[in-house]
Amino acid sequence: MLLARQHLWPASFHSARTYATALRPTHAIYVSTSTDPYFNLSLEDWLFRHAPHRAPLLLLYRDRPCVVFGRNQNPWKEVNLRAAREAGVPFIRRRSGGGTVYHDLGNTNFSIHLPRTSFDRHATAQVVLRAVCALGIDASVNDRNDICVGTYKMSARGRHVSGSAYKIVNNRAYHHGTMLLSTRLDLLGDLLRANKTTRQDTIHTKGVESVRSPVRNLQQFNPSIVHDEFVSAVVNAFREEYGVDEPICTVEEDEGTTGIEYIRTGMAELPSWDWAFGQTPEFTHTLQRTFQWGELTAEIHSKHGIILACALTTSGNVDPALKAQLEGLAGQLKEQKYAFVDEAALPSAVREQGPLRDMWQWLKDEMQS
Amino acid sequence: MFSALRQVSRPATYAVRAARRPTPSVGVFRTAPFVRTLRFTEDHEAVVFDDSTMTGTVYITNYAQSSLGDVVFVELPAEGNKVTKGDQIGAVESVKAASDIYAPVSGTVTEVNAGLADQPGLLNKSPEDQGWLCKIKVENPAEIEALLTEEAYKAHCEH
Repeated sequence: MLLARQHLWPASFHSARTYATALRPTHAIYVSTSTDPYFNLSLEDWLFRHAPHRAPLLLLYRDRPCVVFGRNQNPWKEVNLRAAREAGVPFIRRRSGGGTVYHDLGNTNFSIHLPRTSFDRHATAQVVLRAVCALGIDASVNDRNDICVGTYKMSARGRHVSGSAYKIVNNRAYHHGTMLLSTRLDLLGDLLRANKTTRQDTIHTKGVESVRSPVRNLQQFNPSIVHDEFVSAVVNAFREEYGVDEPICTVEEDEGTTGIEYIRTGMAELPSWDWAFGQTPEFTHTLQRTFQWGELTAEIHSKHGIILACALTTSGNVDPALKAQLEGLAGQLKEQKYAFVDEAALPSAVREQGPLRDMWQWLKDEMQS
Repeated sequence: MFSALRQVSRPATYAVRAARRPTPSVGVFRTAPFVRTLRFTEDHEAVVFDDSTMTGTVYITNYAQSSLGDVVFVELPAEGNKVTKGDQIGAVESVKAASDIYAPVSGTVTEVNAGLADQPGLLNKSPEDQGWLCKIKVENPAEIEALLTEEAYKAHCEH
């Protein structure tokens, strides 16, 4: 039958059919089969801005490995960018607030959208809590509306299995969060600067800093919990809470969805410099290093990803002529992109052996890590 | 819902307090020959427009701040920026909740409230006064008139 159709109808018909099945924002429950974080985050934003604002909506998705940081965070402070690049893991600024999280296929994301008037962070956390409890796990919600399991002697609080963040615009709001089922917690720790590495003291941001929490996977408490099971549990809890009796709308990343201009634009915007780095709140990065020829302290002041100034202090024994050259180089960083400095615009001495190259390599390495 | 009711119960206060700020004396305000207009957007910004200076002072509404919770970060546009109605000109974050600030009208940003960088909590404590966001020199005053009246805004919040 299908073969016969393909023979009978011209190719243009098939593309027309694709558009006819284009996704609509009017369902109540969506489960994405895509694992592309750029697609899923853009789908989420499209649903947020286009669904009827009175109707409760649920979206569930998983992403392949990536680091996702909050709307008003500093990627250089929160993410171990060098480790992320080496592991081939992208880092993405999302549109909601809050701190930095790690996603991989062992982590399932939920997103509950509601009218702003009835939005209550505690109530939505309870829906997810009921789903976790239905899987036979004794969980609780902490004061930041994160889901925790168990209590440990070393910690007054339980271990996080989930983190949450919110977006509120016009008459709509969402609560989304991660649920750790079987995530690579070792990679999570490597990529998130979880161990209070030096950046906590050296980068001072006016933006939002992550609250570090010890984490556990749900599978540690019940080894049989997998993605599909968690998805069903959340769907059931959502249906019960909001009296929804609709089937799941399965979303695929295909022409019908990436053909939606809003989604396509969102997918292009997320990895752009303007969004990922250009939206970084004002910060100061203070660096110190001793070279054979003297000691330097650099204070790089940046806003929206642009270097506003690089103030250099040298120790007393640096030759005055050299000091002037070093300060000249620091001055030339002004108005360049932080960590994306155009090296061709710097004096040629940064490419020849000597103190200027030492200083430039040091600043470049520090900014890029 | 609770916050919507609060907004409804104090409309007059908003208008007077928001409008009073640029002039120290209420007496001067009453006898002044120019007009101040209070308008709202669907994105929960309020604008007090002063037709003597053609400048609109932008706030987030009391309803917006109460549903956001404790504001920990405010990002404002740069002074001198030209903005078009509907552009995203800033961001607000409360505990883990991000919200966007949109330009209610087109024009040039003449002043921003620099105090918010160190005291973002002013948006909660004094959304209608000390928590003002920025001033925009308005290109086309008809854009102000086209925004929501207080009554229409109240209806929008309850919608």
